[in-house]
Amino acid sequence: MSADTTGFWTPVALSADLPSGTVIPAHTRAGSIALWRSDSGRVAASADRCPHRGMRLSYGFVRGETLSCIYHGWSYTQTGNCLRIPAHPGLTPPDTIRVATHLVEEADGVIWVAVGEPVHPPPKLEGLVALRSLTMHADVTTIEAASGAKSDETGLLKATQQYDTMWLLLSEQEQGHTLVHVLLDGDNTLGHRISASRAVESLRRCAEDLQARRSRDG
Amino acid sequence: MAKEAMLDEWYPVGLFSQVKTTAYKTALMGEPIEVSVGADGNAIVTTSGGRVLSSRVRYGHVWSSIGDPQKEIFSIPEADQPGRRFVDVGVVRVRCSPLRAVENFLDIAHFPFVHTDILGAEPHTEVQNYKVEIRDVEDEVWATQVKFYQPQAAKSASGGITTEYMYRVPAPTCSVLYKTCPPRPSEWDVITLFVQPLAEDLCDVWPWMALFDDETSMTDLIHFQQTIFLQDRSILENQIPRLLPLDPGMEIPTRADLTSVAYRRWLKRHNYTYGAQLVAQ
Repeated sequence: MSADTTGFWTPVALSADLPSGTVIPAHTRAGSIALWRSDSGRVAASADRCPHRGMRLSYGFVRGETLSCIYHGWSYTQTGNCLRIPAHPGLTPPDTIRVATHLVEEADGVIWVAVGEPVHPPPKLEGLVALRSLTMHADVTTIEAASGAKSDETGLLKATQQYDTMWLLLSEQEQGHTLVHVLLDGDNTLGHRISASRAVESLRRCAEDLQARRSRDG
Repeated sequence: MAKEAMLDEWYPVGLFSQVKTTAYKTALMGEPIEVSVGADGNAIVTTSGGRVLSSRVRYGHVWSSIGDPQKEIFSIPEADQPGRRFVDVGVVRVRCSPLRAVENFLDIAHFPFVHTDILGAEPHTEVQNYKVEIRDVEDEVWATQVKFYQPQAAKSASGGITTEYMYRVPAPTCSVLYKTCPPRPSEWDVITLFVQPLAEDLCDVWPWMALFDDETSMTDLIHFQQTIFLQDRSILENQIPRLLPLDPGMEIPTRADLTSVAYRRWLKRHNYTYGAQLVAQ
Protein backbone atom coordinates (compact mmCIF):
# COMPACT_ATOMS: atom_id res chain seq x y z
CA MET A 1 0.00 0.00 0.00
CA SER A 2 1.14 3.52 -0.71
CA ALA A 3 0.93 5.69 2.39
CA ASP A 4 1.00 9.45 2.79
CA THR A 5 0.08 11.44 5.85
CA THR A 6 -3.65 11.54 5.21
CA GLY A 7 -4.36 8.05 3.93
CA PHE A 8 -3.38 5.26 1.57
CA TRP A 9 -4.75 3.04 -1.16
CA THR A 10 -5.48 -0.69 -0.80
CA PRO A 11 -5.67 -2.96 -3.85
CA VAL A 12 -8.89 -4.85 -3.04
CA ALA A 13 -9.70 -6.77 -6.24
CA LEU A 14 -8.95 -7.15 -9.92
CA SER A 15 -11.29 -5.38 -12.35
CA ALA A 16 -11.98 -8.68 -14.10
CA ASP A 17 -13.33 -10.22 -10.87
CA LEU A 18 -16.06 -7.59 -10.46
CA PRO A 19 -18.39 -7.73 -13.49
CA SER A 20 -21.16 -5.14 -13.91
CA GLY A 21 -24.18 -5.80 -11.70
CA THR A 22 -22.29 -7.63 -8.94
CA VAL A 23 -21.15 -7.05 -5.35
CA ILE A 24 -18.31 -8.74 -3.44
CA PRO A 25 -16.88 -8.44 0.07
CA ALA A 26 -13.46 -6.87 0.47
CA HIS A 27 -11.21 -5.90 3.32
CA THR A 28 -9.09 -2.86 4.10
CA ARG A 29 -7.45 -1.69 7.28
CA ALA A 30 -10.53 0.52 7.78
CA GLY A 31 -12.76 -2.59 7.99
CA SER A 32 -15.01 -4.74 5.82
CA ILE A 33 -16.46 -3.19 2.71
CA ALA A 34 -19.02 -4.07 0.06
CA LEU A 35 -17.40 -3.50 -3.34
CA TRP A 36 -19.85 -3.28 -6.23
CA ARG A 37 -20.17 -2.33 -9.87
CA SER A 38 -23.37 -0.83 -11.25
CA ASP A 39 -25.03 -2.03 -14.44
CA SER A 40 -23.44 0.92 -16.27
CA GLY A 41 -19.99 -0.11 -14.99
CA ARG A 42 -19.29 2.35 -12.16
CA VAL A 43 -17.37 0.92 -9.20
CA ALA A 44 -18.27 1.92 -5.62
CA ALA A 45 -17.27 0.87 -2.10
CA SER A 46 -19.42 1.16 1.02
CA ALA A 47 -19.23 -0.04 4.60
CA ASP A 48 -20.32 -3.69 4.66
CA ARG A 49 -23.27 -3.09 6.99
CA CYS A 50 -26.80 -1.93 6.28
CA PRO A 51 -27.70 0.64 8.98
CA HIS A 52 -31.28 -0.71 9.20
CA ARG A 53 -30.62 -4.13 10.76
CA GLY A 54 -26.85 -4.61 10.48
CA MET A 55 -26.95 -7.08 7.57
CA ARG A 56 -23.81 -7.37 5.44
CA LEU A 57 -24.34 -5.41 2.22
CA SER A 58 -21.87 -7.67 0.38
CA TYR A 59 -24.69 -10.30 0.47
CA GLY A 60 -26.91 -7.83 -1.36
CA PHE A 61 -27.74 -7.31 -5.02
CA VAL A 62 -27.07 -4.66 -7.65
CA ARG A 63 -29.84 -3.28 -9.82
CA GLY A 64 -29.22 -0.41 -12.19
CA GLU A 65 -27.10 2.15 -10.34
CA THR A 66 -27.95 1.03 -6.79
CA LEU A 67 -26.84 -1.58 -4.27
CA SER A 68 -29.66 -3.22 -2.29
CA CYS A 69 -29.54 -5.04 1.03
CA ILE A 70 -30.67 -8.67 0.75
CA TYR A 71 -32.61 -8.47 4.04
CA HIS A 72 -35.25 -5.80 3.32
CA GLY A 73 -34.21 -4.45 -0.06
CA TRP A 74 -33.14 -0.99 1.14
CA SER A 75 -31.16 0.45 -1.76
CA TYR A 76 -28.18 2.78 -1.72
CA THR A 77 -26.50 4.99 -4.31
CA GLN A 78 -22.76 5.13 -5.07
CA THR A 79 -22.50 8.06 -2.68
CA GLY A 80 -24.15 6.08 0.12
CA ASN A 81 -27.56 7.67 0.56
CA CYS A 82 -30.61 5.46 0.89
CA LEU A 83 -32.81 5.80 -2.16
CA ARG A 84 -35.63 3.40 -1.45
CA ILE A 85 -37.25 1.44 1.39
CA PRO A 86 -39.49 -1.19 -0.25
CA ALA A 87 -41.69 -1.60 2.86
CA HIS A 88 -42.71 2.05 2.34
CA PRO A 89 -42.74 2.63 -1.42
CA GLY A 90 -44.22 6.13 -1.08
CA LEU A 91 -41.58 7.35 1.37
CA THR A 92 -38.54 9.39 0.36
CA PRO A 93 -35.87 8.21 2.82
CA PRO A 94 -34.40 11.06 4.90
CA ASP A 95 -30.79 12.09 4.13
CA THR A 96 -29.73 10.80 7.54
CA ILE A 97 -30.14 7.20 6.33
CA ARG A 98 -26.87 6.43 4.62
CA VAL A 99 -23.87 4.11 4.55
CA ALA A 100 -20.28 5.29 4.80
CA THR A 101 -18.48 5.13 1.46
CA HIS A 102 -14.83 5.04 0.40
CA LEU A 103 -13.04 6.56 -2.58
CA VAL A 104 -12.40 4.01 -5.33
CA GLU A 105 -9.96 4.16 -8.24
CA GLU A 106 -9.62 1.65 -11.00
CA ALA A 107 -6.48 1.55 -13.14
CA ASP A 108 -4.43 -1.04 -14.99
CA GLY A 109 -6.95 -3.78 -14.14
CA VAL A 110 -6.78 -3.23 -10.37
CA ILE A 111 -9.45 -1.72 -8.08
CA TRP A 112 -8.05 0.42 -5.25
CA VAL A 113 -10.00 1.58 -2.21
CA ALA A 114 -8.85 4.56 -0.15
CA VAL A 115 -8.37 4.32 3.58
CA GLY A 116 -8.56 7.89 4.79
CA GLU A 117 -8.07 10.58 2.17
CA PRO A 118 -4.82 10.00 0.31
CA VAL A 119 -3.48 13.08 -1.48
CA HIS A 120 -1.88 11.15 -4.33
CA PRO A 121 -3.58 8.78 -6.77
CA PRO A 122 -2.93 5.04 -6.40
CA PRO A 123 0.42 3.75 -7.67
CA LYS A 124 0.80 3.22 -11.41
CA LEU A 125 1.29 -0.30 -12.68
CA GLU A 126 2.08 0.68 -16.23
CA GLY A 127 3.12 -2.09 -18.55
CA LEU A 128 1.71 -4.77 -16.25
CA VAL A 129 -1.46 -6.80 -16.75
CA ALA A 130 -3.48 -8.45 -13.99
CA LEU A 131 -3.66 -12.24 -14.06
CA ARG A 132 -5.49 -13.44 -10.95
CA SER A 133 -5.87 -12.97 -7.18
CA LEU A 134 -5.52 -15.45 -4.36
CA THR A 135 -5.50 -15.39 -0.57
CA MET A 136 -2.50 -16.80 1.28
CA HIS A 137 -2.74 -17.87 4.90
CA ALA A 138 0.54 -16.14 5.57
CA ASP A 139 1.62 -12.59 6.43
CA VAL A 140 3.57 -10.25 4.18
CA THR A 141 7.00 -10.94 5.78
CA THR A 142 6.53 -14.68 5.38
CA ILE A 143 5.56 -14.32 1.72
CA GLU A 144 8.64 -12.15 1.20
CA ALA A 145 10.81 -14.81 2.84
CA ALA A 146 9.24 -17.59 0.75
CA SER A 147 9.71 -15.67 -2.50
CA GLY A 148 13.18 -14.37 -1.64
CA ALA A 149 12.24 -10.77 -2.48
CA LYS A 150 11.03 -7.63 -0.71
CA SER A 151 7.91 -5.66 -1.52
CA ASP A 152 8.26 -1.93 -2.18
CA GLU A 153 6.27 0.86 -0.51
CA THR A 154 3.30 0.22 -2.82
CA GLY A 155 3.16 -3.45 -1.77
CA LEU A 156 4.59 -4.64 -5.09
CA LEU A 157 7.04 -7.54 -5.08
CA LYS A 158 9.03 -8.85 -8.05
CA ALA A 159 9.19 -12.62 -7.86
CA THR A 160 11.40 -14.69 -10.10
CA GLN A 161 9.95 -18.14 -9.67
CA GLN A 162 11.50 -20.91 -11.73
CA TYR A 163 11.82 -19.29 -15.18
CA ASP A 164 9.51 -16.27 -15.50
CA THR A 165 9.13 -13.00 -13.70
CA MET A 166 5.84 -12.17 -12.04
CA TRP A 167 4.76 -9.25 -9.94
CA LEU A 168 2.82 -9.73 -6.72
CA LEU A 169 0.73 -6.93 -5.27
CA LEU A 170 0.27 -7.70 -1.56
CA SER A 171 -2.58 -6.53 0.66
CA GLU A 172 -2.83 -7.39 4.36
CA GLN A 173 -6.10 -9.01 5.45
CA GLU A 174 -7.53 -10.07 8.81
CA GLN A 175 -6.09 -12.98 10.82
CA GLY A 176 -2.62 -12.66 9.30
CA HIS A 177 -3.85 -13.54 5.81
CA THR A 178 -2.66 -11.74 2.69
CA LEU A 179 -4.51 -11.04 -0.53
CA VAL A 180 -2.10 -11.48 -3.44
CA HIS A 181 -2.77 -10.03 -6.90
CA VAL A 182 -0.61 -11.57 -9.59
CA LEU A 183 0.52 -9.29 -12.41
CA LEU A 184 2.62 -10.07 -15.47
CA ASP A 185 4.58 -8.02 -17.95
CA GLY A 186 2.35 -6.88 -20.79
CA ASP A 187 4.07 -8.95 -23.46
CA ASN A 188 3.26 -12.31 -21.82
CA THR A 189 2.06 -15.40 -23.68
CA LEU A 190 -0.49 -18.04 -22.73
CA GLY A 191 2.45 -20.23 -21.68
CA HIS A 192 3.67 -17.50 -19.31
CA ARG A 193 0.25 -17.13 -17.80
CA ILE A 194 -0.13 -20.86 -17.15
CA SER A 195 3.33 -21.22 -15.63
CA ALA A 196 2.86 -18.07 -13.49
CA SER A 197 -0.43 -19.40 -12.19
CA ARG A 198 1.26 -22.67 -11.20
CA ALA A 199 4.26 -20.88 -9.75
CA VAL A 200 2.12 -18.71 -7.50
CA GLU A 201 0.30 -21.80 -6.21
CA SER A 202 3.60 -23.38 -5.24
CA LEU A 203 4.67 -20.09 -3.65
CA ARG A 204 1.43 -20.16 -1.67
CA ARG A 205 2.15 -23.68 -0.36
CA CYS A 206 5.69 -22.64 0.52
CA ALA A 207 4.62 -19.48 2.33
CA GLU A 208 1.82 -21.27 4.22
CA ASP A 209 4.18 -24.07 5.32
CA LEU A 210 6.71 -21.49 6.47
CA GLN A 211 3.98 -19.56 8.30
CA ALA A 212 2.78 -22.75 10.03
CA ARG A 213 6.37 -23.56 11.07
CA ARG A 214 6.88 -20.02 12.34
CA SER A 215 3.67 -20.10 14.42
CA ARG A 216 4.56 -23.54 15.79
CA ASP A 217 8.03 -22.46 16.80
CA GLY A 218 6.55 -19.36 18.40
CA MET B 1 -23.29 -11.32 33.35
CA ALA B 2 -26.52 -10.34 31.63
CA LYS B 3 -28.38 -13.52 32.48
CA GLU B 4 -30.02 -12.70 35.82
CA ALA B 5 -33.46 -11.54 34.69
CA MET B 6 -33.74 -14.34 32.11
CA LEU B 7 -32.47 -17.11 34.43
CA ASP B 8 -35.89 -18.03 35.78
CA GLU B 9 -37.55 -18.34 32.37
CA TRP B 10 -38.49 -21.59 30.66
CA TYR B 11 -36.61 -22.63 27.52
CA PRO B 12 -37.00 -25.51 25.07
CA VAL B 13 -34.16 -28.03 25.34
CA GLY B 14 -35.28 -30.76 22.93
CA LEU B 15 -38.14 -32.57 21.22
CA PHE B 16 -39.90 -34.85 23.67
CA SER B 17 -40.41 -37.45 20.93
CA GLN B 18 -36.63 -37.70 20.50
CA VAL B 19 -35.62 -37.90 24.16
CA LYS B 20 -34.29 -41.30 25.24
CA THR B 21 -33.30 -43.00 28.49
CA THR B 22 -29.67 -42.30 27.68
CA ALA B 23 -29.09 -38.59 28.22
CA TYR B 24 -28.13 -36.27 25.40
CA LYS B 25 -25.92 -33.31 26.08
CA THR B 26 -26.84 -29.74 25.22
CA ALA B 27 -26.50 -26.36 26.91
CA LEU B 28 -28.66 -23.64 28.37
CA MET B 29 -27.27 -20.12 28.73
CA GLY B 30 -23.70 -21.35 28.77
CA GLU B 31 -24.39 -24.14 31.27
CA PRO B 32 -23.84 -27.72 29.98
CA ILE B 33 -27.00 -29.79 30.62
CA GLU B 34 -28.23 -33.32 29.96
CA VAL B 35 -31.74 -34.32 28.92
CA SER B 36 -33.24 -37.81 29.23
CA VAL B 37 -36.49 -39.58 29.99
CA GLY B 38 -37.00 -41.50 33.24
CA ALA B 39 -38.64 -44.90 33.88
CA ASP B 40 -41.91 -43.08 34.66
CA GLY B 41 -41.90 -41.46 31.23
CA ASN B 42 -41.13 -37.98 32.53
CA ALA B 43 -38.33 -35.82 31.19
CA ILE B 44 -35.25 -35.38 33.36
CA VAL B 45 -32.95 -32.39 32.92
CA THR B 46 -29.76 -32.00 34.94
CA THR B 47 -26.66 -29.88 34.78
CA SER B 48 -23.54 -31.84 33.84
CA GLY B 49 -22.61 -31.46 37.52
CA GLY B 50 -25.72 -33.43 38.47
CA ARG B 51 -27.98 -30.65 39.74
CA VAL B 52 -31.59 -31.51 38.84
CA LEU B 53 -33.32 -28.69 36.98
CA SER B 54 -37.02 -27.91 36.73
CA SER B 55 -38.56 -29.48 33.66
CA ARG B 56 -41.87 -29.73 31.82
CA VAL B 57 -43.17 -31.35 28.64
CA ARG B 58 -45.32 -29.00 26.61
CA TYR B 59 -45.99 -28.24 22.91
CA GLY B 60 -43.95 -31.24 21.75
CA HIS B 61 -40.83 -30.08 23.58
CA VAL B 62 -39.00 -30.59 26.84
CA TRP B 63 -38.65 -27.26 28.69
CA SER B 64 -36.24 -26.40 31.43
CA SER B 65 -34.66 -23.52 33.31
CA ILE B 66 -31.32 -23.12 35.03
CA GLY B 67 -33.00 -20.79 37.55
CA ASP B 68 -36.15 -21.06 39.61
CA PRO B 69 -39.21 -20.41 37.40
CA GLN B 70 -41.79 -18.26 39.18
CA LYS B 71 -44.62 -19.04 36.77
CA GLU B 72 -45.74 -21.82 34.45
CA ILE B 73 -44.93 -21.98 30.75
CA PHE B 74 -47.08 -19.52 28.78
CA SER B 75 -50.33 -20.94 27.47
CA ILE B 76 -51.25 -21.63 23.86
CA PRO B 77 -54.96 -22.56 24.02
CA GLU B 78 -54.90 -23.78 20.39
CA ALA B 79 -52.52 -26.56 21.45
CA ASP B 80 -55.50 -28.27 23.11
CA GLN B 81 -57.96 -27.68 20.30
CA PRO B 82 -59.28 -30.86 18.61
CA GLY B 83 -58.66 -31.31 14.89
CA ARG B 84 -55.25 -29.67 14.74
CA ARG B 85 -52.11 -31.41 13.56
CA PHE B 86 -49.06 -30.82 15.69
CA VAL B 87 -45.81 -30.62 13.80
CA ASP B 88 -42.41 -31.09 15.47
CA VAL B 89 -40.29 -29.29 12.89
CA GLY B 90 -36.94 -30.13 14.50
CA VAL B 91 -33.99 -27.91 15.17
CA VAL B 92 -31.94 -25.32 13.30
CA ARG B 93 -28.71 -24.20 14.99
CA VAL B 94 -27.96 -20.55 14.32
CA ARG B 95 -24.82 -18.62 15.19
CA CYS B 96 -26.64 -15.50 16.38
CA SER B 97 -28.19 -14.03 19.49
CA PRO B 98 -31.42 -15.81 20.53
CA LEU B 99 -33.04 -12.37 20.61
CA ARG B 100 -32.06 -11.67 16.98
CA ALA B 101 -33.72 -14.98 16.01
CA VAL B 102 -36.99 -13.88 17.65
CA GLU B 103 -36.83 -10.39 16.16
CA ASN B 104 -36.42 -11.83 12.67
CA PHE B 105 -39.49 -14.03 13.25
CA LEU B 106 -41.51 -10.89 14.07
CA ASP B 107 -40.51 -9.21 10.81
CA ILE B 108 -42.58 -9.38 7.64
CA ALA B 109 -40.79 -6.77 5.48
CA HIS B 110 -38.04 -9.28 4.59
CA PHE B 111 -40.43 -11.82 3.03
CA PRO B 112 -40.07 -10.68 -0.63
CA PHE B 113 -36.26 -10.62 -0.40
CA VAL B 114 -35.39 -13.59 1.82
CA HIS B 115 -38.36 -15.94 1.20
CA THR B 116 -38.80 -14.92 -2.43
CA ASP B 117 -41.83 -16.44 -4.19
CA ILE B 118 -42.88 -18.27 -1.03
CA LEU B 119 -43.79 -15.79 1.72
CA GLY B 120 -43.42 -12.69 -0.45
CA ALA B 121 -42.52 -11.38 -3.88
CA GLU B 122 -41.76 -8.06 -5.49
CA PRO B 123 -43.46 -5.76 -6.30
CA HIS B 124 -45.67 -6.59 -3.28
CA THR B 125 -43.25 -5.14 -0.72
CA GLU B 126 -45.37 -2.58 1.08
CA VAL B 127 -46.05 -3.12 4.79
CA GLN B 128 -49.44 -1.67 5.71
CA ASN B 129 -49.94 -0.09 9.11
CA TYR B 130 -50.70 -2.57 11.87
CA LYS B 131 -51.29 -2.42 15.62
CA VAL B 132 -48.67 -3.11 18.25
CA GLU B 133 -49.06 -3.09 22.01
CA ILE B 134 -47.45 -4.38 25.17
CA ARG B 135 -50.36 -5.99 27.02
CA ASP B 136 -49.83 -5.22 30.68
CA VAL B 137 -52.09 -7.91 32.16
CA GLU B 138 -50.54 -10.77 30.21
CA ASP B 139 -47.15 -9.00 30.06
CA GLU B 140 -46.79 -9.91 26.39
CA VAL B 141 -45.97 -8.08 23.18
CA TRP B 142 -48.78 -8.31 20.59
CA ALA B 143 -48.95 -7.22 16.96
CA THR B 144 -52.33 -7.48 15.25
CA GLN B 145 -53.92 -6.65 11.88
CA VAL B 146 -50.66 -7.45 10.11
CA LYS B 147 -51.43 -8.09 6.43
CA PHE B 148 -49.12 -9.17 3.65
CA TYR B 149 -49.45 -10.48 0.10
CA GLN B 150 -47.96 -13.96 -0.19
CA PRO B 151 -47.41 -16.10 -3.31
CA GLN B 152 -47.52 -19.33 -1.28
CA ALA B 153 -48.43 -18.59 2.32
CA ALA B 154 -48.55 -22.21 3.47
CA LYS B 155 -48.08 -25.67 2.10
CA SER B 156 -51.89 -25.82 1.86
CA ALA B 157 -52.19 -22.55 -0.11
CA SER B 158 -52.53 -22.59 -3.86
CA GLY B 159 -51.72 -19.30 -5.51
CA GLY B 160 -51.19 -15.90 -3.94
CA ILE B 161 -53.34 -14.57 -1.11
CA THR B 162 -53.24 -11.64 1.27
CA THR B 163 -52.43 -13.29 4.55
CA GLU B 164 -53.31 -11.86 7.93
CA TYR B 165 -50.95 -12.36 10.87
CA MET B 166 -50.96 -11.82 14.63
CA TYR B 167 -47.76 -12.09 16.62
CA ARG B 168 -47.31 -12.74 20.32
CA VAL B 169 -44.13 -12.62 22.39
CA PRO B 170 -45.00 -14.35 25.68
CA ALA B 171 -41.39 -15.05 26.77
CA PRO B 172 -38.07 -13.43 25.87
CA THR B 173 -37.01 -16.15 23.43
CA CYS B 174 -40.40 -17.45 22.27
CA SER B 175 -42.95 -16.16 19.81
CA VAL B 176 -46.33 -17.45 18.66
CA LEU B 177 -47.64 -16.53 15.23
CA TYR B 178 -51.33 -16.76 14.30
CA LYS B 179 -51.82 -16.85 10.58
CA THR B 180 -54.68 -17.09 8.07
CA CYS B 181 -55.63 -20.74 7.68
CA PRO B 182 -56.40 -21.34 3.99
CA PRO B 183 -58.58 -24.48 4.38
CA ARG B 184 -60.48 -23.10 7.38
CA PRO B 185 -60.97 -19.30 7.16
CA SER B 186 -62.60 -19.02 10.60
CA GLU B 187 -59.51 -20.39 12.38
CA TRP B 188 -55.86 -19.39 12.72
CA ASP B 189 -52.93 -21.63 12.01
CA VAL B 190 -50.40 -21.49 14.84
CA ILE B 191 -46.69 -21.42 14.11
CA THR B 192 -44.30 -20.95 16.99
CA LEU B 193 -40.65 -20.15 17.35
CA PHE B 194 -39.14 -21.59 20.51
CA VAL B 195 -35.51 -20.55 20.90
CA GLN B 196 -33.03 -22.33 23.17
CA PRO B 197 -30.23 -19.92 24.14
CA LEU B 198 -27.04 -22.00 24.12
CA ALA B 199 -24.91 -18.89 24.58
CA GLU B 200 -25.41 -15.16 24.04
CA ASP B 201 -24.47 -15.54 20.39
CA LEU B 202 -25.54 -19.10 19.64
CA CYS B 203 -28.98 -20.70 19.68
CA ASP B 204 -31.01 -23.73 18.71
CA VAL B 205 -34.30 -22.76 17.07
CA TRP B 206 -37.20 -25.19 17.52
CA PRO B 207 -40.17 -24.24 15.35
CA TRP B 208 -43.45 -26.00 16.17
CA MET B 209 -46.85 -25.85 14.48
CA ALA B 210 -50.50 -26.56 15.28
CA LEU B 211 -52.33 -26.53 11.94
CA PHE B 212 -55.61 -27.36 10.31
CA ASP B 213 -54.24 -29.28 7.35
CA ASP B 214 -55.28 -32.89 6.75
CA GLU B 215 -53.90 -33.02 3.22
CA THR B 216 -50.19 -32.28 3.31
CA SER B 217 -47.81 -35.03 4.39
CA MET B 218 -45.84 -34.52 7.59
CA THR B 219 -42.61 -34.64 5.57
CA ASP B 220 -43.77 -31.81 3.30
CA LEU B 221 -44.91 -29.68 6.25
CA ILE B 222 -41.53 -30.10 7.92
CA HIS B 223 -39.62 -29.42 4.70
CA PHE B 224 -41.62 -26.25 4.09
CA GLN B 225 -40.75 -24.79 7.51
CA GLN B 226 -37.14 -25.94 7.35
CA THR B 227 -36.72 -24.22 3.98
CA ILE B 228 -37.99 -20.99 5.50
CA PHE B 229 -35.77 -21.19 8.57
CA LEU B 230 -32.65 -22.05 6.59
CA GLN B 231 -33.26 -18.94 4.47
CA ASP B 232 -33.53 -16.93 7.69
CA ARG B 233 -30.29 -18.44 8.98
CA SER B 234 -28.33 -17.01 6.05
CA ILE B 235 -29.41 -13.56 7.27
CA LEU B 236 -29.07 -14.14 11.01
CA GLU B 237 -25.47 -15.36 10.79
CA ASN B 238 -24.44 -12.24 8.86
CA GLN B 239 -25.84 -9.43 10.96
CA ILE B 240 -23.39 -7.14 12.71
CA PRO B 241 -23.18 -7.12 15.67
CA ARG B 242 -24.22 -10.65 16.53
CA LEU B 243 -25.92 -9.44 19.72
CA LEU B 244 -29.19 -7.49 19.51
CA PRO B 245 -28.53 -3.76 20.04
CA LEU B 246 -31.04 -2.42 22.57
CA ASP B 247 -29.78 1.16 22.62
CA PRO B 248 -31.06 3.48 19.91
CA GLY B 249 -28.57 4.76 17.38
CA MET B 250 -27.03 1.48 16.28
CA GLU B 251 -29.90 0.55 13.93
CA ILE B 252 -32.68 2.46 12.16
CA PRO B 253 -36.30 1.29 12.55
CA THR B 254 -39.19 2.43 10.34
CA ARG B 255 -42.97 2.09 10.70
CA ALA B 256 -42.75 -1.49 9.39
CA ASP B 257 -40.53 -2.35 12.39
CA LEU B 258 -42.94 -1.36 15.17
CA THR B 259 -43.16 -4.96 16.46
CA SER B 260 -39.39 -5.04 16.79
CA VAL B 261 -39.39 -1.65 18.51
CA ALA B 262 -41.96 -2.91 21.06
CA TYR B 263 -40.05 -6.19 21.53
CA ARG B 264 -36.80 -4.33 22.23
CA ARG B 265 -38.58 -1.95 24.62
CA TRP B 266 -40.19 -4.89 26.46
CA LEU B 267 -36.83 -6.70 26.71
CA LYS B 268 -35.18 -3.60 28.13
CA ARG B 269 -38.01 -2.97 30.59
CA HIS B 270 -37.54 -6.48 32.05
CA ASN B 271 -33.75 -6.49 31.85
CA TYR B 272 -34.01 -9.42 29.45
CA THR B 273 -30.54 -8.69 28.14
CA TYR B 274 -28.96 -12.12 27.67
CA GLY B 275 -27.99 -11.89 23.98
CA ALA B 276 -28.35 -8.10 23.88
CA GLN B 277 -25.81 -5.35 23.38
CA LEU B 278 -26.47 -2.38 25.61
CA VAL B 279 -23.85 0.18 24.67
CA ALA B 280 -23.43 1.16 21.05
CA GLN B 281 -19.98 0.10 19.92
